[in-house]
Amino acid sequence: MIIIGEKINGAIPVVAKAIAERDAEFIRERAKAQIAAAQDEDYFEEPVPLYIDVCASTDPAVEVETLKWMIEEVESVIPDELENVAIAVDSPSAAVCAEAFKFCKRTGIVNSVSMEKDEQGRVKTDIVFPAIADTDWGCIALLCESGIPQSVEDRMAVFEKIMAKAKEYGIAPNRLYIDPLVEAAATNQAAFTLFSECCRRIKAQYPEIHITSGLSNISFGFPGFRKPLNMAFMALAMQAGMDSAIVDPTNKDMVGLMYATELLTEQDEDCMNYIAAHRQGLL
Amino acid sequence: MNEKIQEVFAAVEAGKAKKVPTAVQEALDAGCDPTAILNEGMIAAMDSVGAKFKAGEIFVPEMLVAARAMKKGVDVLKPHLASGETNAAGKIIIGTVAGDLHDIGKNLVAMMMESAGFEIIDLGVDVPKEKFVEMVEANPDTKIVACSALLTTTMPSLKETVAALNAAPFRSNIKVMVGGAPITQAFADEIGADAYTEDAASAAQKAKELAGV
Repeated sequence: MIIIGEKINGAIPVVAKAIAERDAEFIRERAKAQIAAAQDEDYFEEPVPLYIDVCASTDPAVEVETLKWMIEEVESVIPDELENVAIAVDSPSAAVCAEAFKFCKRTGIVNSVSMEKDEQGRVKTDIVFPAIADTDWGCIALLCESGIPQSVEDRMAVFEKIMAKAKEYGIAPNRLYIDPLVEAAATNQAAFTLFSECCRRIKAQYPEIHITSGLSNISFGFPGFRKPLNMAFMALAMQAGMDSAIVDPTNKDMVGLMYATELLTEQDEDCMNYIAAHRQGLL
Repeated sequence: MNEKIQEVFAAVEAGKAKKVPTAVQEALDAGCDPTAILNEGMIAAMDSVGAKFKAGEIFVPEMLVAARAMKKGVDVLKPHLASGETNAAGKIIIGTVAGDLHDIGKNLVAMMMESAGFEIIDLGVDVPKEKFVEMVEANPDTKIVACSALLTTTMPSLKETVAALNAAPFRSNIKVMVGGAPITQAFADEIGADAYTEDAASAAQKAKELAGV
């Protein structure tokens, strides 16, 4: 599983405070804690990437410079020898993403685009895709255009549009992280069914594409008892083809579940990653 | 140890199924004695794997992977060995006793014994005591009979199997080993078995001792 670590996001009050105060130590420590969950080549035969999500959530006027500072602080604590760790540059503004990703020394992923238009009426994919076209950067793409499509067919229609854009700009499917969108089960009990059906169809069409999600949306509305729902979603979605997730990499219950699910779904030959995760102390 | 044989040892121990055949071929090309490659390279590596498993340093899948890697190497080595040399340690008849269908542990034991250089005749699960006796009669060069019982309810069946072997005229020519989750050394002594071991690695080690290799 490709983990996208969610702990450095200005939407979290303590992080917002640290950003406002330019508390570099706080950002670095949050980065380090997440980096510890990255697969180490001392234990793993082929370590998969781990992306540290960096989201400023500030006033758009200062967002780019804030991201620059955050990116530099996070990259400063990634050990040189850990080649599989990089940044997910996160902004609701595609234009900010297209600018800020250039501050990264390591090749990461952009979080995110969709078929939505920005304030200037430009489709998000048309801003980010050309910017990363000549790089190896990946990109998260949400299956929405104007609001969240409410049927599998409608979401897949957006998917087709995104793939057409990707083709136009020469972005190979294996650079894309499709987020089929997770709604709250509290308000839409078909939320998982919709998600998983999209996963199956996408994977059937493009086996090499990545599927990710901000899965904790599923448990919105159940304060204090969200965890079982998040965990069940994770296991079931992985079986449907999700191979990446935006989660807290320091949450051992969730990380352990991911390794266990990979083993049970025959994505872990000879149980080697499960054993490696144990040896590295990740379980 | 010869450097090339050392590479075979390391590849088997690490369970590198792709690397082992190449390492064996390179050792052969370098003029290493095929028997030495087998004994010092592969069987010794599996001894080490068994020891690490017993010590809790490695786990069942890693033992399986190492055994599989060794087999790939044996395939390369076989044409260069005298016939029967890969099973030079002797013949072992193994099975799970009548009434018991468990085979995971028995299979692991068979695999580790094979990796230790034995020829294995695996009778499978739910094996009647008469079958064990018949098979020894049909294979007079059998050195060891290994019987497994996984349930407290099939321990009496294990007792009867060992009793049948103990009453057979060939008894002095063979050693009887027993194992399985509920089995203890005391039970093994009580029913007249020659040896009890608690895991697959120890079983292979014990078999070598009993067979005098």
